[in-house]
Amino acid sequence: MNGLPEFGARPVLEARGLSMHFGAFCALDSADFSLYSGRALALVGESGSGKSTCAKLLTHVLTASAGHIFHAGRDVTKLRGRQALLNYRSAVQMVFQDPFAALNPAHTVEHHLTRPLALHRPDLSTAQRRDAVDELLRAVDLDPAITLRKHPHEMSGGQRQRVNLARALAVNPAVLIADEPTSMLDVSIRLSVLDTFRDLKRERGIAMLYITHDIATARYVAEETAVIFRGRIVERGPTAQVIDSPRHAYTRLLLAAVPEVGSPFGAGNSLAPLAAQVRESCDRPGTLREVTPGHWVRFAA
Amino acid sequence: MTEPILSVRDLCVDYATPNGLTRAVKNVSFDISAGEVLGLAGESGSGKSTVAFAIARLHRPPAFITGGSINLAGTDVLALQGRELRAWRWRDLSVVLQSAMNALNPVLRVSAQFADMFKAHGITTKADIRDRTADLLQMVGIKPDRMDDYPHQFSGGMRQRIVIAMALALRPKLVVMDEPTTALDVVVQRELLEEVAALRHKLGFAVLFITHDLALMSQFCDRVGVMLRGQLIELSTPTAMVAEPQQDYTRRLWASIPPLHPKPGETLVRMKETPQ
Repeated sequence: MNGLPEFGARPVLEARGLSMHFGAFCALDSADFSLYSGRALALVGESGSGKSTCAKLLTHVLTASAGHIFHAGRDVTKLRGRQALLNYRSAVQMVFQDPFAALNPAHTVEHHLTRPLALHRPDLSTAQRRDAVDELLRAVDLDPAITLRKHPHEMSGGQRQRVNLARALAVNPAVLIADEPTSMLDVSIRLSVLDTFRDLKRERGIAMLYITHDIATARYVAEETAVIFRGRIVERGPTAQVIDSPRHAYTRLLLAAVPEVGSPFGAGNSLAPLAAQVRESCDRPGTLREVTPGHWVRFAA
Repeated sequence: MTEPILSVRDLCVDYATPNGLTRAVKNVSFDISAGEVLGLAGESGSGKSTVAFAIARLHRPPAFITGGSINLAGTDVLALQGRELRAWRWRDLSVVLQSAMNALNPVLRVSAQFADMFKAHGITTKADIRDRTADLLQMVGIKPDRMDDYPHQFSGGMRQRIVIAMALALRPKLVVMDEPTTALDVVVQRELLEEVAALRHKLGFAVLFITHDLALMSQFCDRVGVMLRGQLIELSTPTAMVAEPQQDYTRRLWASIPPLHPKPGETLVRMKETPQ
């Protein structure tokens, strides 16, 4: 696995020059990326860098100020009509950061999974629907016999996030956008939840956008990683290369800030100077250049 | 280090539930020396926050302290009542919680919130309050001329800095920090904790640091403790605990952290969650 898509593979979803302005503020500046079947792209950046704006554009919560989104050969940047939006949304599903807020506390797990099936797959009989719900729960490593009748408050955060994933999978999406799916979970269970995302992506051929501020977890989910800073992608390439040989100063800063066992804070390893320097120097747009095959880095023009 | 500033002995905290009492903290004992940073780690529901809340006397029913003692700098913390308790809190011990956005009042200027706190502790001269507020903001890297802004005009990291400045205002002996950086991204988290580390050397306060992030705890703390189902199962220095964890649970907890640069052949542990 070198992180590069197979030669000739066609992206499931493609963003070209995607931009979003809120008044004078540019939240996303001309982003280019492609999502491929069975593979994940990690979009890594700090709060306010534009990564969630990206998710909102791809899911049509926001309409782009400029640029294009292509899906199944069509430009879906501006969708007209309820049916077109419904079709697009069943192809592009999302899992949110907060597993507590994303589920309705008054309803059981069964309700949460039956509803999307009833809405998007009306052809299923009641018995088929019940089987589909059981199958979805098993796919996310939950036991239907125990989980079906539970309400959100009777489950842990990780179990709730698994239910959210099952809900997204219910409509057989081609694309899954996961916005910080483990950042509100205990560090100790993040890996096992990420494993489930990674396995399902491969088994079902889903194209995944994994949004996170924790670059350390990108390696466990995503073949490719794009680092975004102040609305601009500053580095993009195979995940192992981006983590092991980072070229952009901001990528280096992000990597240095990841908590690591065995390097106590102290004189000599303070990050504050590097952080100040990066914030100061990164305001110039610059251009993306390919440094090794598939590895793009933004250089000051 | 020096003799303990905080002594917790056989602390027990129970929660009243419809099915009777549930013991959330079971006979927990530890000391913190003056100026020391002690970390308590554990998964959700392990009792780590309950310990922190009990020490700050912030626990509310259905939580009840049912046994043990807490002594901070000669004060029997569990005996404090009413006015005495209110004066003690913030002067001797202050608290920084996870969500800065919830700790600051959104409709009051930052300066007004500092003034509230100072007035509650007998500092009432207007000029004195503004001087002290300016000094405190400066100390945590925020320009004093922003003291009359509202909380929403600051970023999450800056709001957390403001909360930390407020927690240090009366020069407490112990600052309890319950997941102070969990809502922040890694770069801001690192900058903030570096700042706290520098300040505690300068001002000499001790810190009880509650987190679920073992790697972060090992970087920031002098000693670390691990909690499991209400018990403190291990307590030592970060180096010792990584090199020779005494408990199998601790070993698995360390091995569950996704490393940035995995070593070939290294096995990562996938922890099973304990349902709530």
